[in-house]
Amino acid sequence: MNMEDDPTDFIRTPDVVAESPPPESIPQTFEQQVEDARNTQMLEAAQLTEPTQQSMPAAAAGAAVAQIQRVQAQAAHVMRPLTNTVWSKLDRKATAVTEFTLRQYRTKNSTWVVLGIGMVFVAMVLMFYGEAMSSGFDSVDNDGDSYDYDGDGYPTGQERIYGTNPWDENSHPDPELVAPDPPEKWIDEDGIDWDGDYSNSNQGYDDDGDCTGEGWVDSESFELPYNQDTNRDGINCNVRYTMNSTTQTIYLINADPNVDEDPDDEEFLKESLHRAFVLGFGKIGFAFLIGIFVPLFLATGLVRDEMERGTLHYIMGKPIARAEILAYRLLGYIALVWPYATVLILITAIVTGFLAPSDSIFRFHDMSAWLGILLASWLMMLAYGTIFCTLGVVSPKFGLWIAIGFGVWEFAMAMISLGAPNFPLTWLSVSHWGIEIINCTSVLAYPDQSYLIEIASMNGDWGSEAALAGFYSPPSVVAGSPFASLLISILVLVLFTVFALFIGQSSLKRKELN
Amino acid sequence: MIPDLSQVGTGETKEWAPVAEAPHIMLDHVTKTYGSVMGLNDVSIAIKGGVTGILGQNGAGKSTLFKLIVGRLRPTSGNVHLFGTNPFKNPAPYSRIGYVSESEHLYDWMTGLDFVATLARLYGYTRDEAKARALHVLEFVGLEDVANKEIGKYSKGMRQRVKIAHALVNEPDLIILDEPLAGCDPLARTTIMNLVRELGAMGKTVLVSSHILSEIERITEQILILHNGRLLALGNLHAIRELLDKHPHRILLRTDNPRGLGTAFLPHEDVYGVRFPKNDELVVETNNLSSVHQALPGICHKSGIRVTAIENPDDNLESLLGYLIEGRS
Repeated sequence: MNMEDDPTDFIRTPDVVAESPPPESIPQTFEQQVEDARNTQMLEAAQLTEPTQQSMPAAAAGAAVAQIQRVQAQAAHVMRPLTNTVWSKLDRKATAVTEFTLRQYRTKNSTWVVLGIGMVFVAMVLMFYGEAMSSGFDSVDNDGDSYDYDGDGYPTGQERIYGTNPWDENSHPDPELVAPDPPEKWIDEDGIDWDGDYSNSNQGYDDDGDCTGEGWVDSESFELPYNQDTNRDGINCNVRYTMNSTTQTIYLINADPNVDEDPDDEEFLKESLHRAFVLGFGKIGFAFLIGIFVPLFLATGLVRDEMERGTLHYIMGKPIARAEILAYRLLGYIALVWPYATVLILITAIVTGFLAPSDSIFRFHDMSAWLGILLASWLMMLAYGTIFCTLGVVSPKFGLWIAIGFGVWEFAMAMISLGAPNFPLTWLSVSHWGIEIINCTSVLAYPDQSYLIEIASMNGDWGSEAALAGFYSPPSVVAGSPFASLLISILVLVLFTVFALFIGQSSLKRKELN
Repeated sequence: MIPDLSQVGTGETKEWAPVAEAPHIMLDHVTKTYGSVMGLNDVSIAIKGGVTGILGQNGAGKSTLFKLIVGRLRPTSGNVHLFGTNPFKNPAPYSRIGYVSESEHLYDWMTGLDFVATLARLYGYTRDEAKARALHVLEFVGLEDVANKEIGKYSKGMRQRVKIAHALVNEPDLIILDEPLAGCDPLARTTIMNLVRELGAMGKTVLVSSHILSEIERITEQILILHNGRLLALGNLHAIRELLDKHPHRILLRTDNPRGLGTAFLPHEDVYGVRFPKNDELVVETNNLSSVHQALPGICHKSGIRVTAIENPDDNLESLLGYLIEGRS
């Protein structure tokens, strides 16, 4: 702390300085005297924040405190060389190698090509996403009651209310009394009634009354569903949700006839498309594709290229352990790719936040999903980077080919993880655990995910539920506990990294640099 | 603990304590093979102090020897000690050595100052300290004017010197220079040779390798000759040369009138023959090189024939090796 910066400096008055305790009378070097004088000034300034008029005992106590503080400050001063030699020297070497690695990346064309391709890839996918979100969707009549089968001008639903025969051209309400409804009125008729409460199994409401018959003109209810309790829960015209007790997700929805029949297709389609995009692009685009290709091109040669070119000895001929060199080179790689992934994901999150269906201008409730994707891609880039770098060290000649083979294996495991997250073989892959991280955080972001999928598949025709269901799966490591699954996934990825690092380091230690 | 990212503290390089009185370099029956190829065959040496020239033809094992000393390679059998420890396992002694490899590759995108300063930071110096040291050594090797130029734009001699500079930045006790003169023009050669001599005068242990006898001769008297991976000779160059001088020798003279000049040489007592390999060349054969060399200017002057060049075709490594091997067998 410097006196010039000290905000309490202005309180200082000359008479109080005179009262301050005299400096210690131990013979000291010039540097220590200067240090002491500075400490004394700092302590005075600290004391002066209190009222300057003190009684004598208080002043004595102050002096004692000052004495103790000075001793402590001196002790700290004496301790400093230790940290100076142990920790700061380590990080001097670390920063030197890291900085060097970053600057080396900057001079390589391949770096810019790889990072540029990633950028273009994300930009293109975002363009498709924007296109999908800005174009409207025609609503679909899921139960067919907007059609006028007999051609008399009245849609089926309206004919049902008035008790006329929808299949008979001559049977329709009196045009003098009842004007025919436009067919649109019989599309998007029932919203979806979901209060988000899993424990409440009886939900759903018959908004247009075509199950209960409420408000219908004709009391003759031959067209009404005569069995109004097909889900057999003892309540007429409701919807029953069946939960999977271990994963705490909805896996079956039983609705009585004509309840929640025609939801707003555009809203549901866009919502499910958006979520499918976040999850799919997060898992396959960011975590997997960018997460594996960037390390493949940027990390494989980290130590191998230096070895092949014969320049590694410039770094290794220094008093720095070989294991450290590998770790610090990876640190340089991380210093490049983590900010890169962060920027890409941030851009995607912001763009989709503005374009996604939302009640406000910006859609905030995807954030925890994006954070999960960020975390997954960081850890996957770290794990893949370490593995590829190690492969380059272990086998300079075939490292890249082994890495490509490993990438194929990872791709296969990622695909299996999407479809069958519980398949035990996938546990041996990095991609499975990265995808699992996204699964865990997406449950936190979208607690009604399984409901949306079930409703979508119940109502049929959209097709987007297939995409959503394909990219979504609940946490599978510890079923029903996203936090435990998240923790385990992170731990496993870190363990993979440490293991790969250990192999790489011990291989490098034994390597001869010819 | 907060990392020292600003790097403003004083750099305190903790001295690694060497084994007292140990030779800087000690090789104990070291053999190194590359598959079936013999790199170094049962070599035992101990070196401390002074400038030592390592002589040997290409493939004699000079670079292998250096790589073993700096811990780039592991001996197939035997032990290598650098300041008393195994350099392959322990990087600590690297803080006391400076190594210039024969590798032509450098980081061409860096400036000379960057290159030296960045690598200096690996000794644990702070950014500022490393830069100050880098400027100092660049000045020492005479590159201060081009310190901020990219290494890619350096000439061959400058590249060699920047490599030497990077090896001196930690004020090493032991400096190893692998073919520092290879490919340099005469001016750069002279500069580098002066540098090496100066380092020797500063009391450092310097190992410098070459396959050209005259180069080593200009640097040092203490030589070590390697041949096919074996240690052939170790000692003072002049002592070896004395022996060599008593051996049949040739002197090649280029002149317009070789026959006339040959006639002038024949009366000399140590000359036992002359030959004329080409129209403008005369080869004088002798048993005592130095005595003929002493008489040579007088003979040429007396004959009045113009001589354009005088060469000693035998005064090279091949003939030295030939002699040493012959002498052994």
